[in-house]
Amino acid sequence: MEIFTQLAVSGIALGMIYAVIAFGYQLTFATSRTLNFGQGEALMLGALTGLTIAGHIGYWLMIPVVMMFGAAQGYVVERLGVAPAIKTKSEFGWIMSTIALGIIFRNTAENIWGKDDLKFPSPLSASPMKVLGVNVLPMEILVVVGAVAMMLAVEFFNRRSIYGKAVVATSNDRDAAGLMGINTGVVISFSYALSSLTAALAGVLVAPLTLTGASMGAVLGLKAFAVAIIGGLNSGLGVIVGGLILGIAETTTGYYLSTGYKDVPGLLLLLLVLAIKPSGLFGKLAIKKV
Amino acid sequence: MSAQPPAAVAQVVSASLRASQLGLGITIALALAAMPLVWPNPYYIHLAALIAIYSVLLLGLDIVVGYTGEVSLGHASLFGVGSYAVGVLVFKLAMPVWVTLPAAIAVTAVFGAALALPALRVTGPYLAMVTLAFGTIVQILINEMDFLTNGPLGISLRKPEFFGHRLSATEYYYFVIVVLGLTVLVVNRILKSHLGRAFEALRDSPIASDCMAVSVYRYKVYAFVISAALAGLAGGLFTYSEEYISPNTYSIELAIQFLLAVIMGGRKTRSGPVLGAIIIVMLPNLLSDLELFRRLAVGVTVLVGAYAAFALARQRRTLQQLAPPMALLVAMAVFSFVIDDITDYRLTIFGLMILLVIYYLPDGIVGFVRNTIQQMHPNWIQRHAVIEATGDAERTWQAAGASGGGAAAAPDCVLKVEGVLMQFGGLTALNRVNMDVTRHTVHGLIGPNGSGKSTMMNVLTGIYKPTGGAIMFEGQPLAGRTSAQIAAAGVARTFQNVQLFGEMTVIENVLVGLHHSFNSNLLDVMLHTPRYRREEHGARARAAGILAFVGLASFANEEARNLPYGKQRLLEIGRALALDPRLILLDEPAAGLTAPDIRELVGIIRKIREHGITVILIEHHMDVVMEICDQVSVLDFGNKIAEGAPAQVQANPKVVEAYLGGVAELAAVGNDAGEPQ
Repeated sequence: MEIFTQLAVSGIALGMIYAVIAFGYQLTFATSRTLNFGQGEALMLGALTGLTIAGHIGYWLMIPVVMMFGAAQGYVVERLGVAPAIKTKSEFGWIMSTIALGIIFRNTAENIWGKDDLKFPSPLSASPMKVLGVNVLPMEILVVVGAVAMMLAVEFFNRRSIYGKAVVATSNDRDAAGLMGINTGVVISFSYALSSLTAALAGVLVAPLTLTGASMGAVLGLKAFAVAIIGGLNSGLGVIVGGLILGIAETTTGYYLSTGYKDVPGLLLLLLVLAIKPSGLFGKLAIKKV
Repeated sequence: MSAQPPAAVAQVVSASLRASQLGLGITIALALAAMPLVWPNPYYIHLAALIAIYSVLLLGLDIVVGYTGEVSLGHASLFGVGSYAVGVLVFKLAMPVWVTLPAAIAVTAVFGAALALPALRVTGPYLAMVTLAFGTIVQILINEMDFLTNGPLGISLRKPEFFGHRLSATEYYYFVIVVLGLTVLVVNRILKSHLGRAFEALRDSPIASDCMAVSVYRYKVYAFVISAALAGLAGGLFTYSEEYISPNTYSIELAIQFLLAVIMGGRKTRSGPVLGAIIIVMLPNLLSDLELFRRLAVGVTVLVGAYAAFALARQRRTLQQLAPPMALLVAMAVFSFVIDDITDYRLTIFGLMILLVIYYLPDGIVGFVRNTIQQMHPNWIQRHAVIEATGDAERTWQAAGASGGGAAAAPDCVLKVEGVLMQFGGLTALNRVNMDVTRHTVHGLIGPNGSGKSTMMNVLTGIYKPTGGAIMFEGQPLAGRTSAQIAAAGVARTFQNVQLFGEMTVIENVLVGLHHSFNSNLLDVMLHTPRYRREEHGARARAAGILAFVGLASFANEEARNLPYGKQRLLEIGRALALDPRLILLDEPAAGLTAPDIRELVGIIRKIREHGITVILIEHHMDVVMEICDQVSVLDFGNKIAEGAPAQVQANPKVVEAYLGGVAELAAVGNDAGEPQ
């Protein structure tokens, strides 16, 4: 039981990272019914830029800079890859172009930072603390706090500010929002910027716990897909629960079965959820209109 | 109609086309057979075999991507599953090739079904996401299950044996070419059959497909499973061709290359995937030789530049359209001279290629060439198979007559709506509505805009699930049935906002409606068995008869989206009739029609009723309603406010109030009470 609690605790930190990335998918999916297949690369770029900048101005000051960098990167993805595809209503178009941009980003990162994984110095003490008899890394607590804070901030923005209302309106009905004078193109660009910003933040949060490198994004982005589907592509609570389920499932499978198999339960869970409740555990099914 | 000149011309054109296609096929076959004699270099023979193997997979992938419009990022993994199915069977059990290849097809088809069944239940990018995840899992499993797959070490084996003779590389090349030829034949047959029409229809209008008893979910899964089976076959061939397999081959990058190949070659063609296969087999060579890449980058830039200049001069394209791709190409050419080691930038170039193709070559090379030729010589290109069938009135109504005979046993009330409640959140669109529709009548459903008429249609056809109440069709409850099941039970409909399969021809639209008349399975279609040929022939004759009935015979081989609006509405009625319905729901069929067209429509509706089909008619043209309806129900704000014979309803003060507001002269609800559309 003690071992299981320990596994669950490390699973929670991992799961919250998945949740934040999945949250990023939700942001763009809500406004444009599209998502960034290069989200993992956005995270990777955030982590690597963060690593370089942190060497000059320190970890804490680096965070806002990286977030701005992430927003810019997301804007570029939307303008280059997604906007033309939305115009031509081509699902194939945005899937392939975000993948292509992801490949280009990864290759560029390889050419700048090299192909090997780098160590990201932890801003907090690397020695675990005892909390209720379980070992917890201070960085793990920071991950959970940072992730929750980010999601709450976006929720607050959406509910309380007039700009947030524009985002919500666009999510509900893009055409109607457009007729009400909301520039939905800008809202979609904004949602991509916000989505990549979230991913970049997730990158600098997770980097001290793992290693940093050009290939770190692919697997994380993929896991977050599973989380987004398990939780529901339109449910904020869903991604947190989904993230926790997947994170804990992974650490326990890794321990009890074999680390090689740790990615397998994610997909099985994903297929199971789609088969039983396709809108996700907490998602609502949209009513199609004729 | 057989005497009409356009049909005769079409016949001649299609006959000469068939002859030229046959000639082309023989030429290609001879060229492929001669290839090893001209270039006996084993490296080239191996590359040619690889191209043929990839072509098999890409022909299958095109069914999913080109026809149903879904995106699969898992075809590299399915390819891997097929490869390993053969590898393991040979390595562990030393099975012969005639066991291993069918096994590879079967195993991969099962994997395909396991992916598609859950992932296609919802629309959206789910299939892409799920197949991407599948790719990772397959690689993990191949690596980890080393008791079966030999893990990262891979499996070595040799070319297959036939009757004790082990094939040489050249003989294997011929074997692969024969398989490719068969694949092209089979894929062609599938796509030209009722299955292919279903795949195309569900992409054009999913809702209309479901309402034509062609279940979108079911046929998307079908398409994916067929596609997976071909990926498995290609994988199996690949194992024998390479004689060594290891897990790293089946990466996400390969899956992306496959998608690029289908798009770059040209969707919805047989030649496109083959061209795409040539490109991706050559791609690694291209991306490892800097000198070659430089020459190609400059060559393509010059070529496209020449086309751009030509298009500008002819005013086919504007400078604004041409500037971005030209800038990208020039940048790529300059880039190729700046870098001094291509391997570091391999992936960047690959990514740029994808972007260029996605945005500036969406129809692929084959599509682009075809469009260009068509602009110059419209007659040279036939986008659709020309179907010249003639129908007669007897066959047009064959099923309707049959059901008319059975009507004696069936209850007199075709449709019974009991207390149907439909709420969207806090809005009540239908408030406990009761309605009985009597057999062999035209039942009008009228009411001001927003009164719930179309909602009622959507509830009746299973598009909306009612919040409460019950609907009985011929004594059977419709609750819990899908749109496709309700359509199959005998309820057809048209749509207020026309929902045709726009990219299909007029007669193909009707043939989708006749989908239910096919009992042929995949095997029948692949082998063109007598049963399939009989059914296809019968369906075509009936489709022609139906088109003659709605007055569209001369438009049979036009694309539906090119029809004028009024004709599109008539085609919707024709398509609905093809379903052999016992109840047909017409949603504002007269909207947008001219006065003479409306006369024609009234005649058509009368004839439909004469043939024993019950009609529910939503209409704003009151003269039409008053003229042909036997019974009229009136809805207002989701409540039924009146019902009865047309004259009775017309005189009902509540109805007058609903339409005109306040108290009005009864006479005001006359011919011109219909609202402007």
